[in-house]
Formats: sequence, C-alpha cells, structure tokens
Amino acid sequence: MILGEVAPALASAALALARRFAAGGTLWCWAPDAPEHAQHVAVEFVHPVIVGTRALPAVALLGDDAIGTLRPMARAGDVLLVVAGADVPLAASLRRAEAWGLTTIRLGAGPRPLNGLADHVLWLGEDVAARHDGRLVLGYHLLWELTHVCFEHPGLLAEVADDGPVCTTCSDEGRLAEVVVSDQDDATVRTAAGTERVSTLMVGPVRPGDLVLVHAGTAITRVDP
Amino acid sequence: MTDFLYPFIEGDERDSGALLEDLGRSAEAKATLSATLRSDTLAALDQELEAVAVAMAERFGRGGRLYAFGNGGSPTDAAGVATLFVRPPSGRPLPARSLVADHAVLTALANDVGFDLVFSRQLISTAGPADIALGLSTSGSSTNLLGAFAEARRLGLLSVGVAGYDGGTMKASDTIDHCLVVRSDSVHRIQEAQSAVVFALWERVQRLLPEGDVHGQ
Repeated sequence: MILGEVAPALASAALALARRFAAGGTLWCWAPDAPEHAQHVAVEFVHPVIVGTRALPAVALLGDDAIGTLRPMARAGDVLLVVAGADVPLAASLRRAEAWGLTTIRLGAGPRPLNGLADHVLWLGEDVAARHDGRLVLGYHLLWELTHVCFEHPGLLAEVADDGPVCTTCSDEGRLAEVVVSDQDDATVRTAAGTERVSTLMVGPVRPGDLVLVHAGTAITRVDP
Repeated sequence: MTDFLYPFIEGDERDSGALLEDLGRSAEAKATLSATLRSDTLAALDQELEAVAVAMAERFGRGGRLYAFGNGGSPTDAAGVATLFVRPPSGRPLPARSLVADHAVLTALANDVGFDLVFSRQLISTAGPADIALGLSTSGSSTNLLGAFAEARRLGLLSVGVAGYDGGTMKASDTIDHCLVVRSDSVHRIQEAQSAVVFALWERVQRLLPEGDVHGQ
C-alpha cells in the first residue's frame, strides 16, 4: 500500500471539496514556503488537463500577506488549501479561516506537523525527499482527480448540515468569530454566518482581528489563535 | 425504465460510503502507478542522468547559471527546480532561476513579440555559454521550448529537456543536448515522474560539484 491511511483522507477531502464547489465555493490555494505548488494546484482546477472536464474556481494566493488578501476575498463556504512544510506556523491562519466559515485542507510532505492541523490533513510521506520527488505533486493531482469523480455523483453533492454542538439551554451554538470593529462594550464580529453585533463585557476590550467564541449574542471567551 | 441499470441516474444517490470506498481504491491504484513510473523512469534513465549531472556540475563549476522554463503545470515545476537549486534542503546553493517567474517580462514579451518567443528572448538577454537551459514539457512539443533550445544552442548553453509521452519534437530535435523522457501518456503521472527526474539530477549534481567556490554562493 503506497498511500495507506492517506487514501481515505484524500477521498473525504475530495468529497468535501466537490460539495463546496457544487454550492458555489472557491478554492483558495496557499503555499507559503513554495508558492509554485499553490499555482500548480490552481491551474489544475481552472484549466483541467482532461478535455471536457469542467473548469472550477481556484485561485493561488501569492505575496507576503496571504491571510490579509484572503480576508476580504473569502466567503463562507469557500475552501482554503495550504501546501506547506511542518516548520511553517499555520495554526493561527487556519483558525482564522475557520472563523470565516472556510473548510481547511492541509497538504504536505516531509516531517509531519504537530499542530496547525486542518479539517483535512493529507500527508504524502515523512522523509524530506517526498517534498521534491513527485509524491507531494501526486497528492494534489489525486485531490483534483477524485474531486471530479465526485461530480459524477450529483446526488451526493448536497451539503450535509452540521451546525456543531448546540447549547441545550438556549439552542445557540458556540461559534468562532473574528472581531471586525470594536466599541466600548460590544463589537461587530464576523462568523461563518455573516457579521453580527455581540457584547464584549465578558471578555473585556477587544481589537479588530481578535478571535473570540460567540454564544447567545455574547463573546464568552477569547480564542488564542 | 433505466433505474434498474443506472440506479443513481436521477441524482437521488444519498449514501456516500460506496463512493468514498471507490475514491480511496482509485487513489491507491493511481499512487501505485505513479510510484512504479517514477522508479522505472529513474532506472531507465540512470546512465543518462549521470551524464547530464556531470555536464551540469561542470557548468556550475565554471560559474554557470541554470535557467528553467515550461508551460502550464510545468512552469510551476520549473519554479520548483529553481528553488531546489537556489535554496536546497541540504548541500550547496547553486544559481538558478525560473524564466516564468517575472510577470512583467513574460507579459511584455508575450504581448509584443508573441508567446512562442517568451523564453528564447529572455535567454538572449541574460544567458551565456557557461549556463544551462532546462525546459520541462509534458508533450515534448511546446513551440516556445523548442525556440528556447534553439537559442540555447546558438548561445553555447548546455541544454536539458524533460519531456513526456514519446518525447515529442524535443526528443527528435538536434538542438537539445540531453532529452530525458518520462514514457507515459498521463499528464499527471508524467509531471510526478518529471519531479523525480529533476530531484535525482539535483542530488547527483550536489555529489559531483567541484571542490571550492561555486559562483553564486
């Protein structure tokens, strides 16, 4: 077995990605330590090698401030695919993408990361050579190929509702949010559901960019990205 | 009527378990094809890889630079080649650059003289006889690569082509010093094996570099 446990992980990542595409989502590709991989992934989806395969919206995030670029561009329901080595700190960026309502996929090779994990983690080999000898490229080629197989099963492309854990007292859930504008005792925050006003009395003064957990109209705790 | 033969034709398939199993099996089968093609290619090209690496190490020893180029997925591989040589995971950094990296140069040339000349014009302006031209193409027949190799020959560069399928026009061309062919008809499997070929070249060049300073360090 070449892939082992990576095969089922690729399968579920591909189905999640196909569902997001089917619902109008965009795939954002970011490769902070090797930007060419982000461009390679994007061109696979935008200009497929197999004639007749549908072109899908994928964009490579280039430049120094990918997250700053993504903030106004991304919509809830999009997907962020990060190709990066284990030594790139990604936890904060992936957490922020989660607050915006993005599905996250982390693809890589070489030494395995201990944190900065995503909704889907696809690791194509733990030796340094795996980053360079074709195995990393194989990983995103397979993601592309499997995603298109999913499009042959339209009945399975409807999003499965997952509202996360819900409070039994008030039926609201705890949702990750990013502060957009802050005032004295309240703030406008961005969540997967859009923007809303919340009270910040429980957490004290917040600043734009801070991450908080929102529950029943109140920021109940700060989240360390 | 056709529901018996094609139970999901109306899009009412709801259980994703069977699909996920299919996808996993398909991924494993393709990964096996990829691994086999990569190892078969490296074995088949073993002697030629050594000859190319010896010639490349000699150029680097003379202060030569490597210029990498390609179209589509291949320029991202060309950028990967340049990064591998300039900022290697181990060993000595070597001077290398992708001719696809600068959008200003690329769009200026494409707009003013045509896309067929985007690589050859860059070689004319920057390359010299100690340098190396490395072009990647899955088809082996990209016009702008063939033009670049012809220019590389005129300028005295060492030229290395990495192609797919049967090598296409690149394999038949007499302006390319070495054409390394990944024999497959799948674009994706070709690109994966081309990465393995380039990585093997890099490993061998590192081993063969002459002692002492190399230009660009």
